Amino acid sequence: MMDLLHNLQQGFATALTFQNILYCSFGVFFGQMIGVLPGIGAPTAIALLLPLTFTVDSTSAIIMFAGIYYGVAYGGTITSILINVPGESSTVMTCLDGYQMALQGRAGAALSVAAIGSWIAGTASTVLLMAFAPSLARFAIRFGPAEFFSLTVMAFGLLTVFGGENPFKVVISTMIGLLLTTVGIDVVGGMPRFTFGVPQLLGGLDFIVVVCGMFGVAEVFNSIEQPEEGGDRIKGKPRLRDMFLTWEDWVASRWAIFRGTVIGFLIGLIPAGGITTASFIAYLSEKRYAKHPERFGRGAIEGVAAPESANNAASISGFAPLLALGIPGSATTAVMLAGFMMWGIRPGPLLFSTHPKLVWGLIASMYIGNFLLLLMNIFLIPLFTAMLRVPYSIMMGGIVIFSSVGAFSVNNNLFDVWMMLGFALLAYVMLKLGYPIVPLILALVLGKLSENSLRQALMISGGTFSIFATRPISAVFLGAAALAYMAPLFRWALARRRATALAP
Amino acid sequence: MHEKSSDVLAHLPDGERRASVFWSEAGVRYARVFSGVAVLALGVAVVLLSRRLPYHSDYGPGPGFLPTWIGYVLSACAIVVTAQELRAPPTAEEFFRPRTRLAVKVLAAIGVTFLLVPFLGFSLALGLLIGVTMRMMGSHRWLACGVAAAVAAVGIHYVFGRSLDIPLPTGLVGF
Repeated sequence: MMDLLHNLQQGFATALTFQNILYCSFGVFFGQMIGVLPGIGAPTAIALLLPLTFTVDSTSAIIMFAGIYYGVAYGGTITSILINVPGESSTVMTCLDGYQMALQGRAGAALSVAAIGSWIAGTASTVLLMAFAPSLARFAIRFGPAEFFSLTVMAFGLLTVFGGENPFKVVISTMIGLLLTTVGIDVVGGMPRFTFGVPQLLGGLDFIVVVCGMFGVAEVFNSIEQPEEGGDRIKGKPRLRDMFLTWEDWVASRWAIFRGTVIGFLIGLIPAGGITTASFIAYLSEKRYAKHPERFGRGAIEGVAAPESANNAASISGFAPLLALGIPGSATTAVMLAGFMMWGIRPGPLLFSTHPKLVWGLIASMYIGNFLLLLMNIFLIPLFTAMLRVPYSIMMGGIVIFSSVGAFSVNNNLFDVWMMLGFALLAYVMLKLGYPIVPLILALVLGKLSENSLRQALMISGGTFSIFATRPISAVFLGAAALAYMAPLFRWALARRRATALAP
Repeated sequence: MHEKSSDVLAHLPDGERRASVFWSEAGVRYARVFSGVAVLALGVAVVLLSRRLPYHSDYGPGPGFLPTWIGYVLSACAIVVTAQELRAPPTAEEFFRPRTRLAVKVLAAIGVTFLLVPFLGFSLALGLLIGVTMRMMGSHRWLACGVAAAVAAVGIHYVFGRSLDIPLPTGLVGF
């Protein structure tokens, strides 16, 4: 306990420097702004800024990126409530009751409960993260190559549960991501793979180039096809005095906030769990166990409190697998992992001992960031709603500029810019055909770790695959992976059984 | 909210509407089946290309080990997806949506911009892109687009080129 407090004190000493407060404030403000604007998400925002932070201190930059990540979850709420358009997928469930509340003239209460719930969940989740992540890291110190390989297999397996509707398309997307990691010189044998004589490919595909294309420019094409501008459809512009909750509102929402926090924290810990899943499960469980479930969808304040608390709790707890295991739980943390690697930092079991300043500074900054977001959500709502009036024709230009400069700045050559455009086209077509992008990105980040761990483990075992089953932790991960891969089969069997039961 | 296709189609001329409806109905089905076949082709190609790489090495699995298995898994999943798409009932989703043409135009404009970078320079080419896409996307006047293009070009040059020291390519005019 004393260690924890000492580490936290050190963390606050780092986070409370003028520079880090500035980066944290910019991160949460920018994140909130990105959350408000439909058509651009947290992974895109971080990917676009990543190449521009090469020269910034790594702790400050990571504090800023974390701020963007959890700030986005706050920002997406505003559009969900005011115009029934989720700024982020994690705020889809908020539309159901939040927009109804706005139509009833209670937009202020909806925004307020979302902000307070998010703040409570974010802060509680940070406390739990602080207690849980170091223990997870200590446990993970026992991991060898076999465990790391099995862990990545489990993460890929969990994608079939959470990553998309069609598990086969999820696997295809994952495999394409893995395939992309094999491009370039093989680090073990020194042999070029899939370079086709192109010298620029010898070093492999740069993650930033792929992400700028797949999340940045591809998002532009998707947004052009499905415009979501809605500045003229704002319902119930809330005044400051409407932003304070009544005692009845608080009584109705306090347990929903608590349950949302617990659900969000637990789901955030699962690799590939994600904040969207957390908000869905929190909303559905709140509705299921409510005394009057018929109120949901008609402006129930619990229907805003639960998913909003869950998505923030999950965005914070998602840092536990990232920091302690080096396994990202979502596309955003995958992009952040790329950022860590860009600064020569490898997240994993040793991160807490090798970079304590960074880890504890980041954790302490989450308290500060969440508090700043609470204030912004109460006092700056008019500013954020005004942003909705920026036409997409102008916004998309900014995205293309940032993506192009980002891709160019990796190696200072135009080849990468063309590659970025190629990946944008690939992502655009994949999304249109129902292939999810997130598995590809996660596989791209974890692919090298997966292959190197596999080969190292087999070198240790003399080529015997039983090493993965005989080491207990590895066996547990593989067991979980097997269950995850079989989950769609269970779902299909269950649906078939239900259909048979319902048939006359 | 998403723009309803039928609303947009109603404003199109007859010929274009018929073409859009045809491509909407037929397009998505063919495209999805074709995507399965394309992934199958990719899987087979990966297996064949991986054969040129050693499957084993002195230290365990060789550089061809993982790609070979990726190829097999891709092929297997592609066969399942193709079969699923062939058996799938008609869907209301569309591959070629009413605004797809606009998205393709923007894609083409970005491609042309990158081709122009060696001649115009990065800042000027991307500035021009901003003006052109603003005109394509919205009901902005040429003057507004021109001003936006100029501001964007100067902004890119000073923010990225000067402040962040990114050596952006310069064109024939040295900007």
